Amino acid sequence: MTGRRFSPDWLALTGAVIGLTSLGASWLILKPNRLVSGTGLRLWEAVGPGMAAVIISLWVAALVLALRLRGRGSSLALGAIANTVLVLNFTFAGTAAGRMLEGQPDFARVALGGAPWLATIAVFFLIYAARQGLGGSTTLRNLVSVVGVVIIAGLVFSGWFNNLSLAQELAGREPRFLQEFGRHIFLFGVSLGVGTAIGLPLGVWAARSRRAERPILSIANVTQTIPSLALFGILIAPLAALSFAYPALRELGVRGVGIAPALIALTIYSLLPLIRNTYAGLRQLDPAVIDAGLGMGMSRRRVFFRVELPLAAPIILEGVRISAVQVVGLVTVAALIGAGGLGWFVFAGIGQAASDLILLGAIPIVIMALLVDIVMRYAVRKATPRGVRGTS
Amino acid sequence: MIRLEEVSKRYADKIAVDRLTLEVGAGETCVLIGPSGCGKTSTLRMINRLIEPSSGHILIDGRDTATLNPERLRQSIGYAIQNVGLFPHMTVGDNIAVVPNLLHWERGRIEGRVDELLNMVGLEPGDYRRKYPSALSGGEAQRVGVARALAADPPILLMDEPFGAVDPLTRERLQGQFVDIQHTVKKTIIFVTHDLDEAIRLGDRIAIMESGRLVQYDSPETILAAPANRFVRDFVGTDRALKRLSRLSVAGIVRPAPSVSLDTPVRKVRETLDEQRSVWVVDEAGCLVGWLDRDLALLDKPVREVMTKVRAESVSITRQATMREALSRMLGQGFHNLPVIDDKKRLIGEVTLGDIEAATSEVKA
Repeated sequence: MTGRRFSPDWLALTGAVIGLTSLGASWLILKPNRLVSGTGLRLWEAVGPGMAAVIISLWVAALVLALRLRGRGSSLALGAIANTVLVLNFTFAGTAAGRMLEGQPDFARVALGGAPWLATIAVFFLIYAARQGLGGSTTLRNLVSVVGVVIIAGLVFSGWFNNLSLAQELAGREPRFLQEFGRHIFLFGVSLGVGTAIGLPLGVWAARSRRAERPILSIANVTQTIPSLALFGILIAPLAALSFAYPALRELGVRGVGIAPALIALTIYSLLPLIRNTYAGLRQLDPAVIDAGLGMGMSRRRVFFRVELPLAAPIILEGVRISAVQVVGLVTVAALIGAGGLGWFVFAGIGQAASDLILLGAIPIVIMALLVDIVMRYAVRKATPRGVRGTS
Repeated sequence: MIRLEEVSKRYADKIAVDRLTLEVGAGETCVLIGPSGCGKTSTLRMINRLIEPSSGHILIDGRDTATLNPERLRQSIGYAIQNVGLFPHMTVGDNIAVVPNLLHWERGRIEGRVDELLNMVGLEPGDYRRKYPSALSGGEAQRVGVARALAADPPILLMDEPFGAVDPLTRERLQGQFVDIQHTVKKTIIFVTHDLDEAIRLGDRIAIMESGRLVQYDSPETILAAPANRFVRDFVGTDRALKRLSRLSVAGIVRPAPSVSLDTPVRKVRETLDEQRSVWVVDEAGCLVGWLDRDLALLDKPVREVMTKVRAESVSITRQATMREALSRMLGQGFHNLPVIDDKKRLIGEVTLGDIEAATSEVKA
């Protein structure tokens, strides 16, 4: 804790510097309509010198703290600053957008510029640094991570940002958004569910049988090397042929494009982490443990469910986590073969050069991936048996 | 009683066990020993049907095990192995309770049994019941393994190098404890090891195996005195007389030891112990704390100021120790007599070199 005179917390310092840099980038963009590029306004131009001064002084405070981050008190302060800056950034953007639109024609838009996003990245650095400084206190660590995000989520639902172009983009397409959002979750859920139902038994089989081990693992590996779009493409021809040969199948939705090939390809992609982790989880078990179980008169079944599975569960669930995060992202691509999902907005936006439309698809995808990750990490921790915790 | 009749185990490319016939009486400890790959572990695992014999029969109390349900059979046979195989996600208590649970014992009965067994293997139930295996030392884990094997009080115990993975000092202590436990529980035990000293110390009878065949099956004394062939003679080695000492406990030759307490003046010690070269020193509780050379002091000082201090556990042995351990200690420390202490380090007597010598010549006769 003592020693060198200049020992800043590099993580926090990076955050503070990025935050200060964001002041130079455009903060809000006023566009005559949703497609043209418009003119950018910096922070003080958009919100006026008073509010700008508040934010600037918060960044400076973060910088000063970063230079001498010591102990829990200053870490907590840094966390508080990070959350305040995050919330103020977006709150001010909401109010400023409303003011800027006054007296403008109906199809004028105010979009977020680069600065708020840059500031958000900076805030994540600060929060991460603060969490490390808070050490053992789980409650404080979680509080620091969550407070700002929750307040912003609340503001979103209260309509605070309704004057921003992203919200207006959504307002015009709410039914479509809900439909594609539901489709995204459907594709994700079904392919991960089917993948798990296939992958776990295959992993168990590979771990149990010397003969099955090689083929299962190598096939799973090979599928992962096929580019996703190519796999979708490969499936088009056989599925199209199938639906021509058996029109009944077509009524069930089996066609060259659409949901059927998407589900098949996504399921195949979900398999590798599931198979590999199930295999590894069972294989890393001490053979003596299984021998002892059988030797004491436990049935093969009982040894599997009471001993092998509980001990392998954390690694298997880790596989489910990797698979789930991967599939949430990959579903995006499925929009290209007509399967829908949030990818539809991303690709439509790219086609129209409408950045707000792209964000309308991309932001929920990122949030979903993060949520899936957090939930599954929690599940992995919960599944780790007490006697095993801290040893690996 | 266990009886193996012409039992063989063949694998594609080799014969692991070759027409083995062996009988182990009830309450006997039979040690299977031989170089690695001699088939001793395969033999053990055929008895509880973890592997099935290629031919031959195994009878337990006259019943052919092939006709029994393998899981029932294993539940009635205790099983302890070198790598212990404690379930890392279960507490020590739950590990010991595995077989009682399989047998659907009542909760209260299981809890009572767990505590009883922990006491028996010398682990305080209050401290250990809720611990996880990751918190145990190697020796403690082995003891829990033995307790787990004994949980449902099976008449038969199979042990595959149960003390193989611990340091020599711990192993010696565990072996001593094993002898004590077997003395009270009187199980029929088949014990696999590759350590001849262990076999001689623990076995009522020793079965020496070589390439799947039984070479000699006799009491340790007979094997040491009359090896059946060259292989056994080589295996037993040239220090047979010394090995025989492993069979003999010092308990029979412990004699009362002269001792003085810390505050006795040295001069007084000289008066009371004219014929002894030295005396042991004990504290108020009777625990060994040092010794006093009679020649050392003529002064009128208390014993505590002139004695040689020792750590009781490093110079003394217990009643359960073998003569071989005692002899080895004596040679190592240059003593002619060793103090014998109980488990609370209280001095209960001593063992002399002369007595060990006398005991050895009796065995030879």
